[in-house]
Amino acid sequence: MATIELRGLRRTFGSVVALDNLDLDVHSGEFVSLLGPSGCGKTTALRIVAGFEWPDAGEVLVNGRDVLGQPANKRNMGMVFQAYSLFPNMTAQHNVEFGLRVRKESHEKRAKRARELLELVGLGTAMDRYPRQLSGGQQQRVALARSLAIEPSVLLLDEPLSALDAKVRVQLREEVRRVQLELGITTLYVTHDQEEALSISDRVAVMSDGRVEQFGTPAQIYNGPRTAFVANFVGTMNRLEGTVVSSEDRVVRCGPVMLSVPDPTFNHPAGETVELFVRPEDISLELLSNGNKPAPGLFDGRVTSLTFLGPVTRVGLATDLGPLLADVSSAVALDLAADTVVAVRLDSTALRSIAR
Amino acid sequence: MALAESGIQSAVLVGSAPRKRSRSRRWALLGVLPFFAYISIFLLIPTGELIVGAFRTANGAFTLSNLADIFHAPYPQAFEFSLELSALSAVMGGVLGFLVANAVLHHGVPRFIRPAFVSFSGMAANFAGVPLGFAYIATLGTLGVVTTFLQHLGLNIYPSFSLQGLFGCALVYMYFQLPLMILLMIPVIEGLRTEWRESASNLGASSFAFWRYVGLPVVTPSLLGLMVLLFGNAFSAYATAETLGVSNLVTIDIANLINGDIAVNPQDAYALALAMIVIIVITIIVYALLQRRASRWLR
Amino acid sequence: MAEVTSVAETRPSSHRFRRARNRVPVWHLIWLVLAALVFIVPIYSVVQFSLTGVQAGQSPFHWYLTVFDDPMFRSSFWLSIQISLETVAVSLVLMVPTVFWVHLRLPGLRPVMDLISILPFVVPPIVLVVGLLPFLEKITWLFVRPEVLSLIYVIFALPFLYRALDAGLRAIDLRTLVEAAESLGAKMPRTLLRVILPNLRAAIIGGSLLTVAIAMGEYTVASLLEFSTFSVYTYTIGTSTAYEGVALSFISFIFVWGAMLSLYLLGRGGRNAAAVAITH
Repeated sequence: MATIELRGLRRTFGSVVALDNLDLDVHSGEFVSLLGPSGCGKTTALRIVAGFEWPDAGEVLVNGRDVLGQPANKRNMGMVFQAYSLFPNMTAQHNVEFGLRVRKESHEKRAKRARELLELVGLGTAMDRYPRQLSGGQQQRVALARSLAIEPSVLLLDEPLSALDAKVRVQLREEVRRVQLELGITTLYVTHDQEEALSISDRVAVMSDGRVEQFGTPAQIYNGPRTAFVANFVGTMNRLEGTVVSSEDRVVRCGPVMLSVPDPTFNHPAGETVELFVRPEDISLELLSNGNKPAPGLFDGRVTSLTFLGPVTRVGLATDLGPLLADVSSAVALDLAADTVVAVRLDSTALRSIAR
Repeated sequence: MALAESGIQSAVLVGSAPRKRSRSRRWALLGVLPFFAYISIFLLIPTGELIVGAFRTANGAFTLSNLADIFHAPYPQAFEFSLELSALSAVMGGVLGFLVANAVLHHGVPRFIRPAFVSFSGMAANFAGVPLGFAYIATLGTLGVVTTFLQHLGLNIYPSFSLQGLFGCALVYMYFQLPLMILLMIPVIEGLRTEWRESASNLGASSFAFWRYVGLPVVTPSLLGLMVLLFGNAFSAYATAETLGVSNLVTIDIANLINGDIAVNPQDAYALALAMIVIIVITIIVYALLQRRASRWLR
Repeated sequence: MAEVTSVAETRPSSHRFRRARNRVPVWHLIWLVLAALVFIVPIYSVVQFSLTGVQAGQSPFHWYLTVFDDPMFRSSFWLSIQISLETVAVSLVLMVPTVFWVHLRLPGLRPVMDLISILPFVVPPIVLVVGLLPFLEKITWLFVRPEVLSLIYVIFALPFLYRALDAGLRAIDLRTLVEAAESLGAKMPRTLLRVILPNLRAAIIGGSLLTVAIAMGEYTVASLLEFSTFSVYTYTIGTSTAYEGVALSFISFIFVWGAMLSLYLLGRGGRNAAAVAITH
């Protein structure tokens, strides 16, 4: 299996900087996602690795060897495109065999390999179908099998699920991950869907404006966003602005409320303005009996909206700290209505601070 | 499911107000009456007339001898030349047009090439008939500019070459066949998705292998279909060949019969015209079948 | 030191490769050049040829001047212009309301219209003349008037005009436009004139230019019915003096070139396949 290293990749299209000194290491057998909004350069990076784009500067090393001098058809990488990449004049089987056919493999070997791979992606019975006879999800399965048939050194996926229905998308992403783990193939996966990236990757590189904002495990990205961009882009975040009161005790004042931030990485001098982030699921609500003041450490909030999300209900609150979103179990939310006043508790261990 | 439902709905709709609908439709049909009257007078009735005429003697009696005449000199030779000329010019124009359309779309070709070729093709495809004939007499006639230029190089193309011959005439026809093919082939090649090229390249295929396994199989029905169209286009041409002085072409024989130049049996014009219609109808059917086949893969 | 050289090697290599990718394969260039030659050499030859064969002391444009001086040149040219304009007028009056009406009220008739629009290909001019002659010979008053050519050319222009109009009407939301106009109290003829025509401007101008190109270049019917149109005149002159025929050929070329260039500038890309009228 192979490693991929991107070193100082830079690519501009006219005055637009698509990649700005991009560095990234992918370990052997690892599943890494490039996650970011459209235009962040993630697809350009992938296409440079595949050989369909060239950087203005920088290197792409596979197993430590620079591949930029090789044309795409000599790189032996498997790539799955967004959609419609299957050859329309070939059955699923012949599509999968294509890479072996141009490598002059024997008929028997090709057929055997195609059957194995189509069975691996759950399409053993659709071998003789043409692309137009397959659903979008099935087409992408065939495309995956086809890219694996050449035993590629690395697997590249360019938003392979974005053209599919929500339900198929969830099902297929687990399938992609299962196949990847089964074969242990080094994989680079481009997506704008953070849930997708977090659910199937070993590590996620969050990109913005041609740079990697943060590179880490899904848990690190989700729980410890290091930049405001990552905090805002990944999941839903409540953003609070506050002033550091005490550096050693890590106390921040947000409006009238004092919050202690147990985040060990907290390192801001007193007086500095910081942004605090907390996820909706780390805020809990307690019903107040009429006219009572909230208990110490809690503050009050007025319900402004209720959005049913299935097991949880997202509650919009107006508080002294500004508007907040809280996720509470839908059973609890039954007691809430607009304008209900509740006591709000922040799980302070979940508070993250990022300097402005 | 959705289809079945919509089918039922429309059936219900039609059933609910059939009388009112058909009456307003009858009135609406009045609006297209002038058009159909015109088409009948200048297209449909004359066509019927010539089909009937093919089976009639000059006195109006039924006969098959007009049709039988097709198989007597000089007509078989004329058909042979017409068909050969149409096929040769269709293949020449078709193949080169395909290659040019593909080259025009290559990403490395300068931007201005495409509009230049498209606009020039639009012009050239319409530059046919008498002026085209004289243009080629000026180019490759016995005193033509290219002919004399080649003579200076010591290359005498005459007498082996002639503008009235199969190859010379096909070369002239290229002037409208090639641009027509370029115009019609560009959208077909654009129908080859970038994803197919990139997938093929990614799987290790050279550009040649892409064309061999994917590109050509996908565009072949369109390519053949357009060549059939070019065939029909050349087959019905008359003015260009007449200007060049071609003698044995079906269209020229018909014109001679109309002019009464070789009036053995003037009714033969009907039979030849009918034969031409039959051949063109066959090419259009083949074209339509190939188009349908092409649309399976493209778009 | 080793690092420095490796970086120095990588960068040029990637650049070299991008250049290699954008390089056009040689055979593409060969085909392009070949096609350009097919297009340009005859035109160059026409210009060259029409300026030769001139005796000493005469203007290099002798053949053009001779042609311009010929009263038959002017009369045939004007006859063709006149026939072209009549063809356009009859075609538009016949086709615009019909295609509009079919789109609005009789969409079921569209396949029939599509079929009729390919019929002129099935029945090429020479064949149509065979069928038309017996009929025309009976109505002599029409047969001897050049207007008869316009009436026949309407048939040849039909496929091109129909396609342009059909595409133009497909592109606009006809029903909504008409309903909006009617809800504002406009009656149908007014609707057609004020609302639909401006939206069909491009289709009408494009179709008309093609019609002009067809009518100007048509030779088959004109020669068989013995009218001295421009192309018939070109043929007659050219078969006696090739130089004059070639000069006239160049004038036709300029004319077609002008019509097609305005058509192209009008259409800007798209619908390029519609821009082909067949006039041989």
